[in-house]
Amino acid sequence: MNEDLLAEATRALRETDDVSELEARATRARVMSGLHQTRVKHRTRYAFLLPIAATFVAASAWGAASGKAQLVWASIERIAHHSKPAPSSPASAGALRSLPRAAPPAALAPDESEQRAAPAEALTPTPAARPVASAAALTHKSDGPGGTRAEADPTFALYRAAHTAHFVDHDPARALAAWDAYLAAAPHGAFAPEAEYNRALSLVRLGRNSEAESALAPFANGAYGGYRQAEAQALLERIGH
Amino acid sequence: MVTEQALGDIAEPEDGLVSRLRRAEPAAVAEVYDAHHAAVRAFAKRLLGDAATAEDLVHEVFVSLPKASRNFRGDASIRTFLISIAVNHARHHVRAAQRRRRAIAAYGELPSAESKDPEHEARRKELAALLTQALDALPIDQRIAFVLCEVEERTAGEAAAIVGAPEATLRTRLFHAKKKLRSALESEGVR
Repeated sequence: MNEDLLAEATRALRETDDVSELEARATRARVMSGLHQTRVKHRTRYAFLLPIAATFVAASAWGAASGKAQLVWASIERIAHHSKPAPSSPASAGALRSLPRAAPPAALAPDESEQRAAPAEALTPTPAARPVASAAALTHKSDGPGGTRAEADPTFALYRAAHTAHFVDHDPARALAAWDAYLAAAPHGAFAPEAEYNRALSLVRLGRNSEAESALAPFANGAYGGYRQAEAQALLERIGH
Repeated sequence: MVTEQALGDIAEPEDGLVSRLRRAEPAAVAEVYDAHHAAVRAFAKRLLGDAATAEDLVHEVFVSLPKASRNFRGDASIRTFLISIAVNHARHHVRAAQRRRRAIAAYGELPSAESKDPEHEARRKELAALLTQALDALPIDQRIAFVLCEVEERTAGEAAAIVGAPEATLRTRLFHAKKKLRSALESEGVR
């Protein structure tokens, strides 16, 4: 009997078909309206996104063709470096981690207090052994997908020349001139903080203490975050600040 | 005898219709709506047991059709495909229909019985309402299996294709659904 009852109820449910034509038309109108709204949304989205995408592509192409993109990128790195002070290393660690570490000034005796002031220097190999490897690492790190970003950048050659004069030839006068040349060409370059610090070291080695003080002061005052702050303070103390 | 449903399933879609649907052409959606809305609405009404909620489900099915048609591989008819979209969207509509039915019951609103044979019509409506109420107690998968196989009289294979489950699974769901429904109708004391 239950079987019959379920079958009867099922049939009753099947036959319940009291939807009016009016309801069907109303739903059709809702569907078409919904589709129209969806199309309008898509069109609006494209209308906003397409010009933005086109501008981005055009700007990227122009930047790549004119070489301005590298300068823009360097500026961004520099801004990022200044806006995010690191406790003990440069903020733009990705770029600056590969930089060669500055050597302790030759004019200064490597006594205990200096080693305390610059513990990192004591742990690194001697500068003379490092420049080629450092430069190679720099080239590698700086390369974009094309692989020639650093080589294509004329300021990189200036940096390399200064680096060689400073760390390989140990010629502070030539190194100073070379660091000045690099900083004149790329005052906001990605390696500008390192160049500024090395320039200050060259001044110390040349005995130009008052200029060295001016050059070291921003580092000691934390203008570059914690980068070389302790070393700069120790050097300023030693040269009679 | 060839039913209307079978005719709808046999009729192959136009070659370009599906690609027009994928491009979200309103005319293509309108064409499909005009051809199949009755079948989708009937299924929705039978599954949900509520006309207003069924209309919402029908609306959702056709609005989502252009996006859903990207998954249409042509191995089923458009009507079957539409029913499968309805199945996928049914879950929250079932709950809405249940809430609506509870509200109607609370206010004592009863369906009107207008027919040539009022007594027969009243019993038919009563049975349909009882079955819908009993369906509310089923898990959604068993409910869908029962409506597809028993109410819509689709084969187990076709229903399995619609819900995207193995045929054996569908048969098991149907078995449990019928068992629970029989028990529910019996407990209501319907003779």
